[in-house]
Amino acid sequence: MRRYDRRGLTTAPAALPETEIGARRRLRPSGGFLRFLLRRLAALVLLGVGITLVVFVLTQLVPSNAVATNLGEQAAGDPAAVTAFRRHYGLDKPLPLRYAIYLERLAQGDLGQSSLTHDAVTHDLGQFIPATAELALYSIVIATFFGLGFGVIAAMRRNRPADHVLRVVSLGGISMPTFWIALVALYVGFFRLGWFPGGERLEPGTDAPAHLTGLYTIDALVRGKWGLFAQALHHLILPALVLAAFNVSLLTRYTRSAVLEVVGNDFVRSARAKGLPEWLVVVRYILRAALPSIVTVLGLLFANVLTGAVLVEKIFSWPGVGQYAYQAAVNLDVPAIAGVSLFVAVVYITLNFVVDVLYGVIDPRIRIT
Amino acid sequence: MSETALRIRWRRRSRIRQTWRQPLAITGGVIVLAWIVLAVFAPLIAPDDPLAQVFPPAHGPSFHHLFGTDELGRDVFSRVLHGSRVTLPIALLLVGLAASIGGLVGAVAGYFRGPVDGVFMRSADLVFAFPPIILAMVVTAVLGRGLQNAALAIVVVAWPSYARVVRGLVLSVGDSEYVQAGRLLGASARRTLFRDVLPNVAGPVLVLATLDLANAILLLSGLSFLGLGAQPPAAEWGSMVAEGTQYFQWWWIGTFPGLAIFTVVLAFNFIGDSLRDIFDPKTAWRSEESAA
Amino acid sequence: MSLLEVEGLRVRLPTLHGLVPVVDGVSYAVEPGEVFGVAGESGSGKTMSMLALLGLLPAGAVVEGAIRFGGHDLLRLSRKRLRDVAGRELAMVFQDPLTSLHPMLSLGQQLTEHMRRHLGVDRRTAERRAVALLAEVRIPDPQSSLHAYPHQFSGGMRQRIAIAIALACRPRLLIADEPTTALDVTVQAGILRLLDRLRRENDLAVVLITHDVGVMSSIADRVSIFYGGRIVESGGRQEVLQRPRHPYTRALLDALPHPEAARDQPLVAIEGTPPSPARMPSGCAFHPRCPYALERCTQEIPALVSVNGRRLACPVDPLRTR
Repeated sequence: MRRYDRRGLTTAPAALPETEIGARRRLRPSGGFLRFLLRRLAALVLLGVGITLVVFVLTQLVPSNAVATNLGEQAAGDPAAVTAFRRHYGLDKPLPLRYAIYLERLAQGDLGQSSLTHDAVTHDLGQFIPATAELALYSIVIATFFGLGFGVIAAMRRNRPADHVLRVVSLGGISMPTFWIALVALYVGFFRLGWFPGGERLEPGTDAPAHLTGLYTIDALVRGKWGLFAQALHHLILPALVLAAFNVSLLTRYTRSAVLEVVGNDFVRSARAKGLPEWLVVVRYILRAALPSIVTVLGLLFANVLTGAVLVEKIFSWPGVGQYAYQAAVNLDVPAIAGVSLFVAVVYITLNFVVDVLYGVIDPRIRIT
Repeated sequence: MSETALRIRWRRRSRIRQTWRQPLAITGGVIVLAWIVLAVFAPLIAPDDPLAQVFPPAHGPSFHHLFGTDELGRDVFSRVLHGSRVTLPIALLLVGLAASIGGLVGAVAGYFRGPVDGVFMRSADLVFAFPPIILAMVVTAVLGRGLQNAALAIVVVAWPSYARVVRGLVLSVGDSEYVQAGRLLGASARRTLFRDVLPNVAGPVLVLATLDLANAILLLSGLSFLGLGAQPPAAEWGSMVAEGTQYFQWWWIGTFPGLAIFTVVLAFNFIGDSLRDIFDPKTAWRSEESAA
Repeated sequence: MSLLEVEGLRVRLPTLHGLVPVVDGVSYAVEPGEVFGVAGESGSGKTMSMLALLGLLPAGAVVEGAIRFGGHDLLRLSRKRLRDVAGRELAMVFQDPLTSLHPMLSLGQQLTEHMRRHLGVDRRTAERRAVALLAEVRIPDPQSSLHAYPHQFSGGMRQRIAIAIALACRPRLLIADEPTTALDVTVQAGILRLLDRLRRENDLAVVLITHDVGVMSSIADRVSIFYGGRIVESGGRQEVLQRPRHPYTRALLDALPHPEAARDQPLVAIEGTPPSPARMPSGCAFHPRCPYALERCTQEIPALVSVNGRRLACPVDPLRTR
């Protein structure tokens, strides 16, 4: 037992037990996270319904005469045919009823028929989605890798030359029109240097790997066709890089500010005091703590890839959703453009929902309240 | 209370001064100013008629044609200069429109709260549910192709961000102590709005609008690139790049208009980013601040 | 031989006014197994002088002097070698346990990661030791706590966890920077007693940094009083705290309430404010606040000299007992 100085009595009365009372709260996921999840899910469903309404209203506003585009000139002049057509498609019914019919069709997975390809829009989407998905996947992977890296470098070198250079470069990256980068990349990489193919997913005349996911690189890998994999990758790289340019810059900027938010924290100093190597401090302590706020831009990255895809697929003759949307918009193919926008919006809000949930999973303080 | 208000006002003035001390802001400002001058005097500066197909087609850059001639024998340099007369005014106009509509909606939603707020903000959420270009494409498809319709489509896409920002600010300013204190002292609603709320909203909206100018120009030229915006033969940067992609062995046809878009957008981003630094100094790029 | 010997340590930090000394020529030694108390107001340089040991100072800081620990001069070690010393032989506990633990990493991870790196043990061994450590610092249910996160614990518990983390590799020296300041008074006592027990059981030397002389007086063997980036008085706890010789030490003690004091003896706050490192007074840094200051105090910086078994930086020595 230690003796206490007279003056020490203010802070260390000997009578107090060493362990304090009121230990820790029990380790039980309370209803907090579940309730959060359900609330977000309800919001997601409501938003989804709202989207269908928006798409429906927009299609109803299209000035182009649905009768004319679908029946052709001659039949459009025949009143009986027109009436039959209108009845068949329910165009003679009041708007709310038409919306109900639209919803019912939607529930059955019917997005209507494209007036351009004369196929079901769902069928068309099935054809075009894998190409865009593959492009988007690679581009987001590239963007994440470089964006995180540059962002961390900029933050760790705050206000030093590397930071300033990265600031200007990243501002440049979000200022370049994607279609212009595509043009320049194609001119240099294909036309001048001949390092990359000039478009399409494979060389003309090459058979695609047997359909599994529709992503050629993955299908080729699964079938063990290395040559095909290399060829698909070769075709992918340039458009994927072009698509990534904007997102790399965006992610660099987000990562930088997210890292700066946490870098001054005491736990970073603790990690260094523990003697952890600097890379571990950066990855496990700094980046890990910054991750929740970085994850929130994931939805934005997706939206950007899609925006870019619409512009880039045209230049690279990439048979994806972007091309389809572009063709549909230019040719006033209403069911197709409506279907694409509905699909994209649903994917987009779902992704944002996933991000919200992910945020909770990453940060234990939200997961277990 | 008056002290807080004073401090806020004082800080704002010094913020604007800070902006112009930043090299990026200055660079951006100079570029924007230069483009405005070029746009205003384009007919005097441009050596040729942007639409005249009178030169040997597809000639590379030379002394007579700084940026070369396009596939139809038009002077690319003149077309790029005239392109600024299309893009800049429309971008300014549409961002102004979007900011006014969005700002008004946000202010009303934030001021009245309740069901008004709910309806306005849910419709903003709906717009946010679509990636901008997709919605803009649908809207242009609905309205019909053309530059004005493309611009309108962008307004449709752009207003909700202002609504959100302004609503949030109005809500938080309305709750802040000095406005509450003002109300207690009998300040009228109008006085509150104009003296206390508006000045605090102006800064963030300015930042947003500057950055939005950059985005709007990108989107507008993107829509034109797709053929949904400006129609040929108009000299518009996006559609000029589109022509360039068809003849990309003649690199100058698409490269220079693209460069024009890039410089304008970059300039607005420079200004917007510097402005944001000042309103959010925590992660700012600045050399004055250091460990102490 | 001393465990830690600091000689002529000088730390300058970059500020708007250029490099500013926050620690200005500090020398002391810590013996194995003792509790060495460092006291002073905030801004007196006590924390900075400790951060200098492990190279944790803010970027741009300039450090001079020598820090001998375990046969090395820590200031001459490469960053990489220093990281081998840090956490293994020399550990630190910081002031605010709410922020010094990573909120998103489990206790198991934070307790074992440096053990596995420094001691080269496998995960199971490290986890076994982590459980033992948690039990040692009196965390209830140590086994399941490995999978818990810091926010599930109270402030005092988190400080115990931080101490467990610091002791994981059995260091010989623990630097505790204001370990009780952020905690409730009742919890403070527990932490101090814990530190005291641990150092006796583990043959551990502790440097206890605090601005609270009361905290220090309860467990320190020797104390140093910091003022304006320098040591103004140091020696055995009894001597310094019961018979202070430096006017600043005296003022510090007078500002402390204690129950046995005569009822009519008022608490005396120290007049004035601690000096800013950027505008350090000439001569003795304490002279503007010192009731005994003479003309010479404003001119020459007093040297720290040995006086009757203590070291004192006050040539006036107005409190000398005859």
